[in-house]
Amino acid sequence: MTQAEEQLPLSGIRVFELGIAIASPFCGRLMAHFGADVLKIESRTSPDVVRLLGSAWLRDREDLASIAGDTSPYVSEMNASKRSVGLELKTEQGRATAMTLIAECDVFLANFGARALADLGFDYEAVKAVNPEIVYVQLPGFGSNPEMPYYPFVAWGPNQAPLVGMDDFTGHSDDPPAGIATVAPPDYMSALHAAIATLTGLEQRDLTGKGVHVDISQFETTLALLGPFVMDYDLTGTVYSRMGNRSMWGAPQGVYPCAGDERWIAISASDEDDWDTLRELVGDAIDSKFDDPSLRLAQQDELDEQLATWTVNFQVEDLAHRLQKHGIAAHTVSTNEDLLHDTHVISRNWYQVAPSKRLGRDVFSGSAVKLDGTSGTWSHAGPSMGQHTREVLRELAGLSDVQIDELVETAAAFEPVDPETVTTRPWDDWIHMFLPGVEDARDL
Amino acid sequence: MSGPYTGIKVIDTTGLTGAYATRLFAGLGAEVVRLEPPEGSSLRRLAPFVETLEPPENSLWWNYLAMGTRSVVIDPGDSASLAQVVSQADVIFEDQLPENAMFPDEAVNPATIRTRILPFGLTGPKRGWQSSNLIAWAASGILYTTGFTDRAPVAPAAPVQLICHAAGASALAGTLLALRSKRLTGNAQNIEVSMQEAALAIAPETGVPMLLDDRVHRQRTGNRRDLGRPFGLYPCKDGFVSLIVLMPRHWLAMAQWVAETTGNESITEAVFEDNAVRIEAKDLIDEWVEELTTQGTRLELFEEGQRRGIPITPVNTIDALVDDPHLKAAGYWSSTELQDGTEVTVPGAPFRTNAQWWSTSRAPLLGEHTGLYLT
Repeated sequence: MTQAEEQLPLSGIRVFELGIAIASPFCGRLMAHFGADVLKIESRTSPDVVRLLGSAWLRDREDLASIAGDTSPYVSEMNASKRSVGLELKTEQGRATAMTLIAECDVFLANFGARALADLGFDYEAVKAVNPEIVYVQLPGFGSNPEMPYYPFVAWGPNQAPLVGMDDFTGHSDDPPAGIATVAPPDYMSALHAAIATLTGLEQRDLTGKGVHVDISQFETTLALLGPFVMDYDLTGTVYSRMGNRSMWGAPQGVYPCAGDERWIAISASDEDDWDTLRELVGDAIDSKFDDPSLRLAQQDELDEQLATWTVNFQVEDLAHRLQKHGIAAHTVSTNEDLLHDTHVISRNWYQVAPSKRLGRDVFSGSAVKLDGTSGTWSHAGPSMGQHTREVLRELAGLSDVQIDELVETAAAFEPVDPETVTTRPWDDWIHMFLPGVEDARDL
Repeated sequence: MSGPYTGIKVIDTTGLTGAYATRLFAGLGAEVVRLEPPEGSSLRRLAPFVETLEPPENSLWWNYLAMGTRSVVIDPGDSASLAQVVSQADVIFEDQLPENAMFPDEAVNPATIRTRILPFGLTGPKRGWQSSNLIAWAASGILYTTGFTDRAPVAPAAPVQLICHAAGASALAGTLLALRSKRLTGNAQNIEVSMQEAALAIAPETGVPMLLDDRVHRQRTGNRRDLGRPFGLYPCKDGFVSLIVLMPRHWLAMAQWVAETTGNESITEAVFEDNAVRIEAKDLIDEWVEELTTQGTRLELFEEGQRRGIPITPVNTIDALVDDPHLKAAGYWSSTELQDGTEVTVPGAPFRTNAQWWSTSRAPLLGEHTGLYLT
């Protein structure tokens, strides 16, 4: 361990993670970035969905089919800097080995369904029995109380957003709901709450010696973001719904066309100072009656139409710079290609590059949480399935190589498939975008 | 016992972006002071308002997000009072660049952790740019991919202000990391969260690693997605339900349900067990599925579909959520008190613990606690 790693806020903390997809893994990766040793427990018989996604360019490569599970970009997005331990928890030996690891951990983190977790034998009581001080954090869709109506229901990311009202809130007011299936805020918001709960649990444990059971029902957690709308419904019966990109707090705010095909700009100019500035820029493209702020809110259709006749004359990047230069919040509605060339994003090293056993190196998103004293590390990209099984079982479970061989032979544990098979992503030459001055990140 | 952060003194000078963070922090025990100018925090000016109350006590955003905190009013020109309050803080939440801070660096104790939530961060060419929830979504790649093809793209759940809360929750996670670090090493440090990065972090679907993997320009496809069928929002008697059928066992259960309810036996033909075939025949599949969904209400379809093991959920509206049977049975809802004594329903604790962590109280009146902090 280097000096820097020793000083990270979570160095010395070990996390046992039973995570799938996003909600638990996104929390685990934040902890790994800040120094925790996160053991991602993986199964070959029922793999994490990120292992099933594979990679687009690999679909016709039969020679690489056996390693497809190590190649989805989501593997690194969700699991960078973690250690992957292949253990089949449905086998008795696999479960027993997992319990010996749990005894060496500070945190238990899981987003398996509550019933699945209990059936596997890893509910809080079982885990506490081997580690009384454990900080146990679970993120089931509907909580861990089997008495509750939705306890057995199928919940996963994209389906939680409509449930908590987010799809109904998405779209223009005169359209059907547009839905938000491209993104899963409930997963990420639950993950951030899990990180906050885990850190709070560690604080309690360090100060009092007592562990804790945290039950994060993704349904309840995400609903905590809707307070003002719940209150207004209770007080007046008002049911808020989608309102496009508009603001309840002032106008104009919206997404407007610019020159070219499908080029759009987002503008938030909802307070009085913004309007004075915008008025100077647009001149008489907008009717003078809109100098009255109440009319701006009351007649937004007309205001937006007039503003659009002005924005459409500009190249989107030019207009965004021009508006921001005058202090008005505006931004290109970025496409994924725009992000590849976004000089601001690149200058902040948002996309990170780290070594990958299978791919040489891999690129993934950084952390939105930035500390200026202990800035965190990405020791490696997403691990191969079972990459660290042997080292972890030796180190933490005290098993000999012979004992580990036995676990592997009886399919209670596994190691990487074809460990000598190494490939590169077809876009490997793009790496210079993210590592200015480094010609070949394999030098890392 | 009370929350583990009892005894930690926090000052919040932010508006909407920091408010969710300090609401949680206060709920976990911290003593949070909202430092307000005489006219009140910007959060107090956000609609919806309580009709029967006057400003600055009538904003529902304030009455929700400021729960559990205290209000201290200091005139921005009164540097002596600012210094007196600020020097006591373990943590300060700010939403301004350092050169625009409410108080000079000298007023801040070197042992204080400063947490800044900024539009585009402390560095980079857009350092001085302004932002909002909408702007952050635009800068994430996700806004471009959300909405119907014949309309302008839309931000996900715009009224909820998700990116403000994601930035706030990220800032609190960073703050708790820094507090732990300080407890272990004695060193204070500062936290920075860029709203754009808070959005990018929850948007890998439109991120560069995904683009470099499949080279697909992602664009909006309305409220259904061509990853599978049925996949997306389907109309029913009182709104819409969401269906995401990808797994073979989910399709078999779905086809069986449609056949039993509508008498359509064609849907159970083996050829449709192939997701690629269903995507090819998506208009037909959607029509058959709608024959089922239009016969039930959101709640009926949710309960029956889930009983059959199908990933179906209602497209809920606020009224349906407040009346939801699971949330009622779980005792989720809580309440708070407004200035005139009215009790109003609010969401309860964001998570449950076997130790007593979460406690909160009504939002403070403007300047309610000034006397406690200024002598």
